[in-house]
Amino acid sequence: MEETLAIFIASTLRLAMPLMLAASGELVSERAGVLNLSLEGMMLTAAFFGALGSWATGNPYLGVACAVGAALCVAAVQAWLSVNLRANQLVVGIGFNILALGATTLLYRIIFGGLSREEIPGLPKLAVPGLIDLPFAGTAFFQQSVIVYFGFALILLIWWTLNQTSFGLAVRAVGDEPRSADKAGIPVARTRWLAVLITGAMAGMAGAFISIADIHTFTENMTNGAGYLALAAVIFGGWNVGRTIAACLLFGAATALQFQLPAMGINVPTAFLLMLPYLLALLAVAGVVGRLDPPTALTLPFQRGK
Amino acid sequence: MAQSASPPLLALDGLGKRFGSLQALEGVTLDVQAGTVHCLLGENGAGKSTLCNLIFGVYAPSAGQMRFGERPWLPSSPAEALEQGIAMVHQHFSLVPRMTVVENLMLGQAKGILKRREFGDRIRDIADRFGFVLDPDAVVGELSVGERQRSEIVKCLMRDPKLLVLDEPTAVLPPGEIGALLDICRRVADSGRAVILVTHKLAEIAKVADSVAVLRTGRLVAKADMKTADMGALVHAMVGREVKPLDVALSDSKEADSKEGDSTDAGAAPVRPGFALVCDGLCVQDRHGATRLDNFTLEVRPGEIVGLAGVEGNGQSELGMVLAGLLAPTEGRYFIGETELTHASAAAVTAAGGGIVPEDRHAVACVTAMSVAENMYLNKLDRFTRFGLLQRRALNEAAAVQMKEFDVRAAGPDVAFSGLSGGNQQKAVLGRELTLDPLVALIAAQPTRGLDVSAVEAVYRQIRAAARRGVGVLLISSELDELIAVADRIAVLYRGRLVGERPAEMGERGAIGALMSGQGI
Repeated sequence: MEETLAIFIASTLRLAMPLMLAASGELVSERAGVLNLSLEGMMLTAAFFGALGSWATGNPYLGVACAVGAALCVAAVQAWLSVNLRANQLVVGIGFNILALGATTLLYRIIFGGLSREEIPGLPKLAVPGLIDLPFAGTAFFQQSVIVYFGFALILLIWWTLNQTSFGLAVRAVGDEPRSADKAGIPVARTRWLAVLITGAMAGMAGAFISIADIHTFTENMTNGAGYLALAAVIFGGWNVGRTIAACLLFGAATALQFQLPAMGINVPTAFLLMLPYLLALLAVAGVVGRLDPPTALTLPFQRGK
Repeated sequence: MAQSASPPLLALDGLGKRFGSLQALEGVTLDVQAGTVHCLLGENGAGKSTLCNLIFGVYAPSAGQMRFGERPWLPSSPAEALEQGIAMVHQHFSLVPRMTVVENLMLGQAKGILKRREFGDRIRDIADRFGFVLDPDAVVGELSVGERQRSEIVKCLMRDPKLLVLDEPTAVLPPGEIGALLDICRRVADSGRAVILVTHKLAEIAKVADSVAVLRTGRLVAKADMKTADMGALVHAMVGREVKPLDVALSDSKEADSKEGDSTDAGAAPVRPGFALVCDGLCVQDRHGATRLDNFTLEVRPGEIVGLAGVEGNGQSELGMVLAGLLAPTEGRYFIGETELTHASAAAVTAAGGGIVPEDRHAVACVTAMSVAENMYLNKLDRFTRFGLLQRRALNEAAAVQMKEFDVRAAGPDVAFSGLSGGNQQKAVLGRELTLDPLVALIAAQPTRGLDVSAVEAVYRQIRAAARRGVGVLLISSELDELIAVADRIAVLYRGRLVGERPAEMGERGAIGALMSGQGI
């Protein structure tokens, strides 16, 4: 039983990790008023280029850098379209996701061939001495890929930045009242650009986690909706860092049950378990968890004097 | 205060601004001295906002020059204007409701890690220095309008500006808070800064202004030293024709009504027996469970105009929503004529003869992207629909007639509603509601907000005419003088409760004011 619980915690964390990385990044951008439906596409692009970089250089850290770089490119185009050109953010996001799926699938088949299961160099796991011996959660929390520790540090940094720095204040202001922020001398476009780039970097980390740290290979559409789940987690979490992370863990746990329940001999249709995180997300978006109070200017482009 | 020989702080020379074919501002030459309060007077659309936006760097002028201090002045953005010492309190506040006062004030000011405590102390200091109180940790969304305005003023003063511009600062304030605002303005000017007050209500700020300049249709038509100025002449210059002060004009029409014998006396309404509008114990609770409207009971007879006075935010909005069929009351019942509308839709209210002029013209009363004609017949479009298709020509013809009747000035019935001035938009909305058939009751919320003098007169003339035809009118307004001039009796709303009722007479002004502020209950 103890072992099962430890495995459950470990797999929850493993499945929630990319969600937490992507959702905390997306949260910054949404607080700034830009919705990146392209989060899924960013993660998939990052997963692919991360795998490619790691495989080509033989160095997983360079792989992570490639992943972040690729996601940043997607984020830059997203920012240019939604901030500068004031394009419809929903349409842009959906377009990106379809494009990313097509492009990564195509490149994967060209580069790796049809059915290759090529293993790529992965990130090492780092055990924290002392803490790893804790019961239940010891191995779950303290024998993880370096990207996990780094990711948690980044999430803390995002939380702290949003609440305790002038940049965080600017982000929140341009997402609620961009006109007021503009009058206060806040560069609205630049703040939103930076916020979208932060989303890109975090989505890059999330993609890299999936392909380099977790699975050690790339497969077609390997993010498989994780980006959408991260978006749902932001809503579920009420645009608040702590609650968003909790939502990611909940979705991660729901996904982990897929593997855990059959192992424990509990017979639940797999299809239902597969559906569970998305069902939770749907309930969240429908407002079942409470009234939603999104940033006032979310998805609304800003133009001075209009 | 004294006009010295020192060079002006701000000098405008032949300033002009053109938007496409519209000459918004032309040849404005004006000096503003440090240490004075300068009033910029003009009706809506006279170019006051455009002038402010030029000074503040929102737009670049198309003609003329500005000097600020020693140097030529051509700010490229509001940020540059702020940096160089010009701060502005806009009519629509630039605050983020979700954030606290201190967070709002740190926005664009603080760099790096936020020091809320330190900054909060600075806010208290400034408030203290200029004679008022402000809690830095209050969430802006929960503050009163006056407190929000003071937050805006502190925000400006924190940047230690040489020039403070306030755009229509009295428009949003309850009467009791105007004096406090003027005291702050005087203290700011006395600290060696210049203050520009932009307004169309000269009387409200006359006692604090040192000098005044009048804009009309984009041109500067009068300048005067306030000590020697003739108020009548200034108002004349502003509107370009002889007008009586509003209350006089409206009182006249009220007397005229009585003389006609078409009495506005509640007991003698001729047309329809019974009541036009009945509210019986209406209660509204907001989503946080707070009571916004508390056991509101009021009856309006046909032909009667009942004024509902109160400082904004005391339940007027909720009442307006309930009466419009946009919000279901938690308790109580509501009738128009004989029809119960307690949980009815907006369409049912219209069908029962309830004309609604909502307080938020833009959000609720009209579709600004549609044409004037479409907006004027928005609630009667089925009249012009055949086989599901809109008979646009018939619609436009009918609208043209109605535009003439209600004096809606626009290039034609098919121009976009958003192109109309606030006054013309309101006249169009009023025309639409007044031509309902049947029309039993008219509920008008803040119908004159933001309108200039002549539009205000037109709106009230129409409302009085409707009452003479036997329509019961509920007039919700925070403009006490207007209510006294127009209504037959005045009920006062305070914290969602009806706290008293007085006859609409000037002599009752003090008593009504006391009720509005929650005294004497």
